[in-house]
Amino acid sequence: MSTLCPPPSPAVAKTEIALSGESPLLAATFAYWDNILGPRVRHIWAPKTEQLLLSDGEITFLANHTLNGEILRNAESGAIDVKFFVLSEKGVIIVSLIFDGNWNGDRSTYGLSIILPQTELSFYLPLHRVCVDRLTHIIRKGRIWMHKERQENVQKIILEGTERMEDQGQSIIPMLTGEVIPVMELLSSMKSHGVPEEIDIADTVLNDDDIGDSCHEGFLLNAISSHLQTCGCSVVVGSSAEKVNKIVRTLCLFLTPAERKCSRLCEAESSFKYESGLFVQGLLKDSTGSFVLPFRQVMYAPYPTTHIDVDVNTVKQMPPCHEHIYNQRRYMRSELAAFWRATSEEDMAQDTIIYTDESFTPDLNIFQDVLHRDTLVKAFLDQVFHLKPGLSLRSTFLAQFLLVLHRKALTLIKYIEDDTQKGKKPFKSLRNLKIDLDLTAEGDLNIIMALAEKIKPGLHSFIFGRPFYTSVQERDVLMTF
Amino acid sequence: MISAPDVVAFTKEDEYEEEPYNEPALPEEYSVPLFPFAGQGASPWSKLSGAKFSRDFILISEFSEQVGPQPLLTIPNDTKVFGTFDLNYFSLRIMSVDYQASFVGHPPGSAYPKLNFVEDSKVVLGDSKEGAFAYVHHLTLYDLEARGFVRPFCMAYISADQHKIMQQFQELSAEFSKASECLKTGNRKAFAGELGKKLKDLDYTRTVLHTETEIQKKANDKGFYSSQAIEKANELASVEKSIIEHQDLLRQIRSYPHRKLRGSDLCPGETEHTQDLPSQAATTSDPEESADTDRYTCRPAYTPKLIKAKSTKCFDKKLKTLEELCDTEYFTQTLAQLSHIEHIFRGDLCYLLTSQIDRALLKQQHITNFLFEDLVEVDDRGEEKQESAPPKPSHDRPPSRSVEECPVPQVLISVGSCKSSVESVLIKMEQELGEEGSREVEVTESSSFDPQENLDYLDTDLKGSVSSGESIEVLGTERSTSVLSKSDSQASLTVPLSPQVVRSKAVSHRTISGDSIEVLGTCPSEALIPDNFKASYPSAINEEESYTGDGRGAIHCQAGLSPPELGEAEEGGSGVTPSQTDSCCIGREGGTLRVPLSTPGHTLSDEDGVVSVPPQRYRQKDPEFHVDFSVENANASSRDSGSEGFPAYELDPSHLLASRDGSKTSLDDHSDATSYGSSVTSASSDRTSSSAPATGPSSERHKKRAGQSALKFIRQYPFAHPAIYSLLSGRTLVILGEEEAAVRKLVTALSVFVPSYSRHAKPVKHWVSSPLHITDFQKWKLIGLQR
Repeated sequence: MSTLCPPPSPAVAKTEIALSGESPLLAATFAYWDNILGPRVRHIWAPKTEQLLLSDGEITFLANHTLNGEILRNAESGAIDVKFFVLSEKGVIIVSLIFDGNWNGDRSTYGLSIILPQTELSFYLPLHRVCVDRLTHIIRKGRIWMHKERQENVQKIILEGTERMEDQGQSIIPMLTGEVIPVMELLSSMKSHGVPEEIDIADTVLNDDDIGDSCHEGFLLNAISSHLQTCGCSVVVGSSAEKVNKIVRTLCLFLTPAERKCSRLCEAESSFKYESGLFVQGLLKDSTGSFVLPFRQVMYAPYPTTHIDVDVNTVKQMPPCHEHIYNQRRYMRSELAAFWRATSEEDMAQDTIIYTDESFTPDLNIFQDVLHRDTLVKAFLDQVFHLKPGLSLRSTFLAQFLLVLHRKALTLIKYIEDDTQKGKKPFKSLRNLKIDLDLTAEGDLNIIMALAEKIKPGLHSFIFGRPFYTSVQERDVLMTF
Repeated sequence: MISAPDVVAFTKEDEYEEEPYNEPALPEEYSVPLFPFAGQGASPWSKLSGAKFSRDFILISEFSEQVGPQPLLTIPNDTKVFGTFDLNYFSLRIMSVDYQASFVGHPPGSAYPKLNFVEDSKVVLGDSKEGAFAYVHHLTLYDLEARGFVRPFCMAYISADQHKIMQQFQELSAEFSKASECLKTGNRKAFAGELGKKLKDLDYTRTVLHTETEIQKKANDKGFYSSQAIEKANELASVEKSIIEHQDLLRQIRSYPHRKLRGSDLCPGETEHTQDLPSQAATTSDPEESADTDRYTCRPAYTPKLIKAKSTKCFDKKLKTLEELCDTEYFTQTLAQLSHIEHIFRGDLCYLLTSQIDRALLKQQHITNFLFEDLVEVDDRGEEKQESAPPKPSHDRPPSRSVEECPVPQVLISVGSCKSSVESVLIKMEQELGEEGSREVEVTESSSFDPQENLDYLDTDLKGSVSSGESIEVLGTERSTSVLSKSDSQASLTVPLSPQVVRSKAVSHRTISGDSIEVLGTCPSEALIPDNFKASYPSAINEEESYTGDGRGAIHCQAGLSPPELGEAEEGGSGVTPSQTDSCCIGREGGTLRVPLSTPGHTLSDEDGVVSVPPQRYRQKDPEFHVDFSVENANASSRDSGSEGFPAYELDPSHLLASRDGSKTSLDDHSDATSYGSSVTSASSDRTSSSAPATGPSSERHKKRAGQSALKFIRQYPFAHPAIYSLLSGRTLVILGEEEAAVRKLVTALSVFVPSYSRHAKPVKHWVSSPLHITDFQKWKLIGLQR
């Protein structure tokens, strides 16, 4: 690679990004391991600010550190490893995604990093998974791009007899820019509109004097039930920011503090973009009364999503976890395969068109009606409104309700763990589980399974098997045992 | 499956389903696995089994200036834990980069070497091929003989679960910072001491050289200096310079920011001590006072020696060990803290997460905790970490005691988790035996809750507010009894503070106990008794009888324990003093001569009464269980036997976490990394097949059987629901039957539903053939009665 790389230069290409709000991100960098010179920074992205947050030299120094030691890298083929640094001496935290790739004929190690001030540690940690998931996917695509570009260049060199080495490898930068900027925007929006860790129940629907005061009883029941069934992952859309945010806060009551910090309120004036991976997010409809959800991003969320429209009081949900993960993986694979098969830059660039054109409305069948009723949430709502509002009684009752749910989830995990000898045996007795744990209502089972999935990832896939059938079919099969 | 138009537009039908065969397929390294949770046939538990080590451990590594990165020690210090995992390679990986990257040594333009007090760096990284991920805490220690005076070290928490490390990052960081701070404080102290010695040596050398020079001067009558004299003078100058340099280093080490120490958990006493020493050393190094050797009083007498003025770097020298670099007390204390970290973070992430969520939610229920939870337990859980962190307790004592303090974290956790049970025993014992006084002392010692809080509680009780057990008891109706069981535990909380209140509660207790008694008859017909309930172990009765006569065996065993172990046994509620022996044995062993209390079934943790193991073994195990809390490296069999002490709570979710806490303190070092937490409570059938050697399979099996029996009971009998309701609501349930074994079995099965049922409090009478008295209903919540 070293022979093909541009000569070392102290100046590193830099993209300055103008953000509307405060940016907690200091910089993002793309570095690679040069076989002769060691770690080198290729590109820096930094928010455009009047005050220089970090000098280029400092950024380069830090980025080099992320690749230091990677000469000993021992990773599985195709692995994208995550490194996380808290360098108190420098007052920064760095998140680095380290990966191997073929670039210009040589296999080398690369690192895409984001740098934040150390003061943002508690802000960042709940969002770590979101950022990592998104950057990981763009790296997957970028890696293919790097590989293919080399092939194309070699062909061009053969055909044209000219060398344009200096241009090589540059095109991955725009691709990375296409994701680094949204990540910066996401962090910026979370800084301004993130849901606080503590929510006052007075700001939620649960403070109403009676059920149905501010929203329809059935709608509230469906919303909370489906929200819990989809692992606490919901999108709330509406025309009124106030109304949307009230539901957002209400749903966030059912999340843990860390999950709340990974949720976002609706912006009053203009709408945010949908962000994959947030737990609850409020989105404002446009002037035409619609909001377009990007299909791909909804699919790439770690959990299925509930779609709640507060204008028309509809609640729709995606299939359960195992189906969602399976669909997601198949979609990712097909996307990467399509990317791999693209024969020209135009074909590869087609992705951009798809990216901008992709849209999805919840009326399509990725979002379905909430089919499974539950008794847990219903009983909770029936009872909570009997308690006098304005006191701490309802908060306490809610905490008790959540405690019961979490304990049920833990019991379920232990039950399955015991029944299957920690996965050594297949799980066959779903009916017994339902009876023993009093989860005979499908909705109840879904809620507890969803909670269990969050603390024991892969439980759905393990219980419901490979999702070649729909979840309903699978469960029918299991019920026959 | 997915029929959204835009998806179809993007992928095309065939593309989405399968990649075309005529195109080169996407290399797997560029793709994503279709099943993210490992491959075919994988499970959520198998994901973590790829690592070469059996469970999480802590590794301390150093970047040696002589040999490069090298592992120093692991916690636990057991080769079985890290197995075939290559510690050398991993040390190389985690120590290959100096993340602190601050200048230490001779800065350009500076006359003297400069010490920088660098902040610790924290890094999370992994080796995906080995399936090992680590939280790495980098720190720098000072060594006068090291290059640049620094020795880079790191402490790494190594786990197979990457998510665990990231999700627990802040907690890990906080705990490791404490350990690091402890290590660094000790190091500063040792470094200052080392400087003091060096200054003394230099001082002595200077004196010697000075004397020699003077002698040479006097001897020299030629008017010019000999080359030897010049050499001596140069040497003297070098010594002088070296003294100034070392004095400057002392000044620097003294200038370590005090706020850092105050902010940490380290005690101010140690801080002062650390600061005092260098100041003394500095003072004595002053030329005018160099003769005053008594100023080094805080250290053992040191005889200064003649040293060479110019220290030459030699690479064959032996570097100081970590223990030498730090004060031994601090080093021991650090190890204790690291053991504590290993204990609190070991096990499956899902249990860690759930316990954290649990704590957070319980805190929000402070106004109703008396109904559902043991408030003391809740508070203690919240404070568990602070209480059990080793630095704190040892700071309150002279550092030399820290060796004994090593197992403190385990002890405190165990006390916290067992406290409520101990107190519940107290209630029973007081009502029956009136021995509250002696027990009280014991319980109070093991309690750490806020007295004021309990006084408030007391007030609440006496006022008879809605939340008090008192008012509920006065009502004595079936409606009110729904919280009676909780009022029991509530009352028990007040016991250590006021025996009078306890007595009054005992009185009111009688009122309620007589009010509602559920009598459940077991069918005498064999046909209707499920197989599980049949007396398949006829030996049970004999075994119980043999127990009855052996009550005191346990005491003898405990008497043979070493003092710390005994202390733990005391805390665990085992009787030690003769006056307590009876009551304790009643509660725990049930092997005394008191007829109403001699329930042999209670001697065993699972109460099964069908154990075919010689009873003596249990008596031996029981004290060992307590030893377990205090002795970290106790053998595996004793630890497992300790786990037998827990009741079968498989069906009671509210006990899952509490049980886990218990298991945390008592579990053997051989439990596997992924789910040690469940091994005690879940009665998992694979427990016996796990790596833990010499487990108590029979007891575990019985626990599981109790749970299964309870399940079968629920499925079998239509009256199961009201029966369990009665138990849960605090009413006494009587099971009538002709066959003792069947009744015992059913009682055992249902005992999991008895509130306040634990290792210490067992309000269950498995079998009684004589007519019941009204007082029996005070004592027992579940009774097996001969028809």
